[in-house]
Amino acid sequence: MAAEPKKIIIDTDPGIDDAMAIFLALRSPEVELIGLTTIYGNVYTTLATRNALHLLEVAGRTDIPVAEGSHVTITKGTKLRIADFVHGADGLGNQNFDPPKTKPIEQSAAAFLVKQAKLHPGKVTVVALGPLTNIALAIELDPEFCKNIRQIVLLGGAFSVNGNVNPAAEANIFGDPEAADIVFTCGADVLAVGINVTHQVVLTAAGRDKLMQSNGRFAQYLCKILEVYFSYHREAYSTGGVYLHDPTAFLAAVNPSLFTYTEGAVRVQTTGITRGLTLLDNTQKKFGEVTEWTDKPTVKVAVTVDAPTIVKLLMERLMQS
Amino acid sequence: MDGVLGSETKNHIVMDGTVNNVHGERDGLLVGSGAKLEKIIIDTDPGIDDSMAILMAFQSLELEVLGITTIFGNVSTEDATRNALLLCEIAGCPDVPVAEGSPEPLKGGIPRVADFIHGSDGLGNTFLSPPKAKQVDKSASEFLVDKVSEYPGEVSILALGPLTNLALAIKRDSSFARNVKRIVVLGGAFFALGNVNPAAEANIYGDPEAADVVFTSGANIVVVGINITTQVKFTDGDLLELRKSKGKYSQILSDMCKFYRDWHVKSDGIYGIFLHDPVSFVALVRPDLFTYKKGVVRVETQGICVGHTLMDQGLKRWNTSNPWSGYSPVEIAWTVNVDEVLNYIRQLLMKP
Repeated sequence: MAAEPKKIIIDTDPGIDDAMAIFLALRSPEVELIGLTTIYGNVYTTLATRNALHLLEVAGRTDIPVAEGSHVTITKGTKLRIADFVHGADGLGNQNFDPPKTKPIEQSAAAFLVKQAKLHPGKVTVVALGPLTNIALAIELDPEFCKNIRQIVLLGGAFSVNGNVNPAAEANIFGDPEAADIVFTCGADVLAVGINVTHQVVLTAAGRDKLMQSNGRFAQYLCKILEVYFSYHREAYSTGGVYLHDPTAFLAAVNPSLFTYTEGAVRVQTTGITRGLTLLDNTQKKFGEVTEWTDKPTVKVAVTVDAPTIVKLLMERLMQS
Repeated sequence: MDGVLGSETKNHIVMDGTVNNVHGERDGLLVGSGAKLEKIIIDTDPGIDDSMAILMAFQSLELEVLGITTIFGNVSTEDATRNALLLCEIAGCPDVPVAEGSPEPLKGGIPRVADFIHGSDGLGNTFLSPPKAKQVDKSASEFLVDKVSEYPGEVSILALGPLTNLALAIKRDSSFARNVKRIVVLGGAFFALGNVNPAAEANIYGDPEAADVVFTSGANIVVVGINITTQVKFTDGDLLELRKSKGKYSQILSDMCKFYRDWHVKSDGIYGIFLHDPVSFVALVRPDLFTYKKGVVRVETQGICVGHTLMDQGLKRWNTSNPWSGYSPVEIAWTVNVDEVLNYIRQLLMKP
C-alpha cells in the first residue's frame, strides 16, 4: 500500500519559479497540498495572493485554500525589496492574466499555519519559498507550532557562497533577516536549501523547448511566463538557462534522498553591510569562547543535489499534466 | 636609482649583482643572480607562529628587513614589542628597528589577547630574559609611512596581526596605499568558518574597522585567510624532526611550539600546529606557490558577524549598487601548493 501522501503547505510569493513549484506539487502523487500561504518577495503580498489564487484556478484546484500573509516584515518594516525585474511587474512574466474569481480565506497565513499544524500534529510540512515572516509569526503565535510542525523546508540563504541580492545576502533571507533568524533558531525540524545548491539545478533553453513541444497544460502555461526569467538570467549571470530555486526546494521536502546535508546552528546577520548573511556553524571546530551559535538548535543545510534527477522529475510531471 | 643602488651596496650585494651570502654559504632557496634585496616590514603580534615567520625572514638572504612594527593580538602591544626586540636579538640583528604600534583597535577599548593559545608571554611560556634593545621613538604607523615614502614602490609589508597600524598609516598619509609595493595580510576566513567564532578570524576580529580601511584602500593587497593556512600543518612528527634538526632556531622554536601544539589538540583535535604566519610569509616570498582570485572584500563591523570578511567573487552583475560597489579589488589566496609550501618552511626552519 502506498504511503499516505505528505501534507504540505507552500508559503509563497509567486513568482515564476514559485508557479513551477506549485504546479509540480499538484502533479506529485507523494503530496497532498493542503494550502498556500502568501508573502511579499518577488511581488507584494497582495499580488502574491492574487497570483496564488490565479495559479490554482489555472490548475482547476480552487478547492485548495489560500491564506494571505504579512504585508510587512516581522519588525513592521515596509521598505520591501520586490524583484519585479526578475519575475515581471505582475510576478508572472508580464502576461497580465485576468484577475482570479476566487478569494483568500479569512484566516491570516500565520493563523492558518498554526491551525493546520495543530490539526495534524507531526504531519504537516511547510515549504517556505519566500521571506520567512509568516513562519516566524506562526512561531510567535503558538509556542507549540515548532513541535506540531513536521518539517520546515525553506528556500533561503547562501552557504559559503555569495548572495544574489548583494555579495552577502540571498533574496529570501534579505527580505526579512530577523524572521529568518527566528525560524533557524526555533528548534523545529528545519531544512534549508540555499542558492549554493539551487544554482546547480538549471533549466536550459533546450529543456524549455521540450516543455513547449509537449501537450502538458502546465508546461504550456509555464513556457509563456518563462521568457522574462530567461532574459533576467542572461543579463545578470550571462547564462542561457534559469535556476530552478523553488522546484528544487519543493523536491527536498518530497524526496530528501536527492540531496546530501550537513547539520549545525545557523544564525542570520541582521545589521551592517552583511545584513541577511546566513552563517552556519558546522560544529567542526570547538571555539574557546561562548559564541552566538553556542547552544542554538541545529538545522539541516543542503550541501549537494542530484540535479539531473530533479530536472527530469520536474519536466516529466509538468509535461504529463 | 641612486638610492636603490646605495641600499644594495649597504646590504651585501656584490657588484655583479649576485647575492653575497652574509652567513657564508650559498642556499638553494634563494633567488638567482641579479636579484635585488626585497625590502620588507613585518607588522606582528609575536606570537609563536609569528616568531617562526620572523626568524624565517631573518634566514632569507633575499630580504632586507627594514623593521618590525608591533600590534596587539596574540599578546598586548607592549609584550609584542618586547618579543619583537627579543627575536631580533636571537636572530643576531639587534639593530633592526622595532616600532611600537597602537595599544588598541581604531574604535578603542581593551583588545582581546589570545594568551590561551600563545602563553602569557606570547612565546609559549618560555619566559626568556628581557631584551637589551629598545624600540625606536616613532610609532608603528609613522615608521610605516616614513619607510614607504623613503622607498616608494619598493616596500612590502607582511601583516600578521590586526590591521590597526596599517589603517593608521593609510589615514596618516594619503599616498601610503599607492606607494607601498604590496601588503600581504594574514587574515580572514573566505567562505569558511572563522577561528574566534563561526563568523570571524582572529586578526580581522581584533580590529574590523581597520581591516575594512585596509581592504578598501586601493593598495596592492594579497590576503591569506585561514581557509588557506589551515591546510598547512606541522604534525607531531614534523615538530620532532624540527627539534632534532640543526636549524639555527630550531631549539627555541621547538620549545615555544609545545604550548601552541597542546592548544591545537584541545581546540581542533589536531596533533600538530597550523602554520598561519609562516604560510603568509611564504606567500610574500614565493607567490607562485598559491593561486588567487580577485574581488572586492569588505569587513562587517556590526552585529553577530562582526569581523566577517566577505568577498564579491564577481559572478553576478548586480542591478543596484551595494556596499562592495566601486572599491578596488584585492587578491585572495584561493589555493595553495601544500607540499611545496611545507618544504619551503621546513628548509628555512631547518637551515643551520
